[in-house]
Amino acid sequence: MANKKTVDLVEEKAALMRRDVIEMGYAAGGRGAHFGPALSSIEIVAGLFFGIMNHDPKNPTMADRDRFVQSKGHACLAYYAALTETGYITREQMYTFKGDNSFLAGHPTRNMKYGIEVTSGSLGNGFAVACGMAKAAKIKSDDHKVYCLVGDGECNEGIIWEAAMNAAKYELDNLIAIVDRNGVQLAGTTKDIMDVDIEALWRAAGWDVVVVEGGNDASSVLEALQGMRDSSSGKPHVIIANTTKGKGISFMEGSLGWHARPMPQEFYEQAVAELENA
Amino acid sequence: MTARGVDMRKAPTDRLQEWSKKGHRTVQGDTLVMLAADYPDMVVISADLTPTARLTDFRETYPDRFFDVGIAEQNLIDFTVGLALEGLRPFAVGLAGIVPMRPAEQMRAALGYMNANATVIGIEAGVRFGPLGNTHYAMDDIAVVRAIPNFTVICPSDPLSTHKALYACAEHEGPVYVRLTGGPGYPVMYPEDFDFQIGRAIEYRPGSDVAFVSSGSLLADAVGAADILEGKGISARVVDMHTVKPLDTEMLDRVFAENKLVVTVEEHSSIGGLGGAVAEYKAGFADAPKQLIASLGDKFQKLGDHTFLMKLNGLTAPDLAALAEANV
Repeated sequence: MANKKTVDLVEEKAALMRRDVIEMGYAAGGRGAHFGPALSSIEIVAGLFFGIMNHDPKNPTMADRDRFVQSKGHACLAYYAALTETGYITREQMYTFKGDNSFLAGHPTRNMKYGIEVTSGSLGNGFAVACGMAKAAKIKSDDHKVYCLVGDGECNEGIIWEAAMNAAKYELDNLIAIVDRNGVQLAGTTKDIMDVDIEALWRAAGWDVVVVEGGNDASSVLEALQGMRDSSSGKPHVIIANTTKGKGISFMEGSLGWHARPMPQEFYEQAVAELENA
Repeated sequence: MTARGVDMRKAPTDRLQEWSKKGHRTVQGDTLVMLAADYPDMVVISADLTPTARLTDFRETYPDRFFDVGIAEQNLIDFTVGLALEGLRPFAVGLAGIVPMRPAEQMRAALGYMNANATVIGIEAGVRFGPLGNTHYAMDDIAVVRAIPNFTVICPSDPLSTHKALYACAEHEGPVYVRLTGGPGYPVMYPEDFDFQIGRAIEYRPGSDVAFVSSGSLLADAVGAADILEGKGISARVVDMHTVKPLDTEMLDRVFAENKLVVTVEEHSSIGGLGGAVAEYKAGFADAPKQLIASLGDKFQKLGDHTFLMKLNGLTAPDLAALAEANV
């Protein structure tokens, strides 16, 4: 069981991060934002930054920090919200999201000064790079863990499976992948686009697999993350977290239309009202 | 001492005859073993290519520093990037005909964009795989990599320059693609130690009429062409432009000012390689000399052994001499 204080903290931070996502996305105006895939992953990212990872916003290059790689880079709003709430970036910087000359692009761009570990956005590559980072930690006998957030649609990519097989070959049990299974990808549901049993695929690739039904429940997410963090099974770990696309905003939940788009004012006001009354 | 604090190794000139006989794969495989001894952070990654790339010695000597990702070239690059971001000095080895093109997007999005300190070695560049056919030829690899920002592209011309180029990579900040040509019978152009610097071309011989600007193992043919022209009273300069990116523009400035004709020489497509790079730079000159691009052209090749294909594409010394003579 996850510690209640930690669960409370993660829930509190998750609520703030949801608001940050809406604020950044609205501030981006006509440039739009990927709302749905950020909101589905909030408890996972909040759980990592506020309950699981050893990290220090004042020292982003601390040698023994745990690494976080957001391979589903389009969901960067969740990442930037975590960087804001932990203090890697200021609120003022947060609002530069997608602006001209901002370092907060529509997909994360490596920037160690602000805690952005790996460039992602071209799907699959962040995960494969994370596998290399986990191997490097093994080579150097470092104790830190590598956490990697992967999308369920992203599991369509061939590079995911090239890297997954290789991670199992090298017994990278310091690597914990979390698949944000929100069931919706760009052009349709994951069932419509590529209906495969990803649990079976991860198992076949040689990974320890755990499925979390409550992927938007802080307590369940924390418990799964702790279990995988503390396991030295000799296998890399994957948590398949069943989440809700657009979680927390009624008109975004399960919606294909809110995968990525601009947010008009009336929707912004409704979203904020819903979050304030939650 | 090098910039990274490694004792400078004496140039292995005693190995050159053997390396010449065996070709670039052996030079590369042997040099990686030497590099591992000199650089404790250096590791090698391959994609099921150990015997072909002459990596068996490395695998046996440094089993903990050798990784085989299986037949998975995209992951060859991404895994390499992950190692590099954590401070190791990885060398990824693949076929030049497969590696820059198939994982081009990994080369761009992960390796180039994050400016990681990693070297990608492409063996058997050009058409040396002859009878294996066009799927195994590397005619576009320079074009692919050269278009990726942050990348350095090196095409060494002989055994010792191959060895020294790989050593330069271990000291270099940022991603490098090393393109290897020159099979068994790899001509020794540098029998003695010499100063190899990334981005600094070598004037192999002076000359005032034609300038052959060459990359890779065709340097020997360019020198052969210059010899032939000399017999006809035509003075030919030969430049070893071993670094195709960044080009040595100071050397090119001299060539443009002092020579009447430039012939770029490469075992690559006529599009996007050394010839393309020189032409791009030359576009800024109102009065630069005419340039001819001696290359594999813009076509899939007929099948045949390397000698046959070089002749077919006009890349032998007599062909290059005739081309220059007709245009100077």
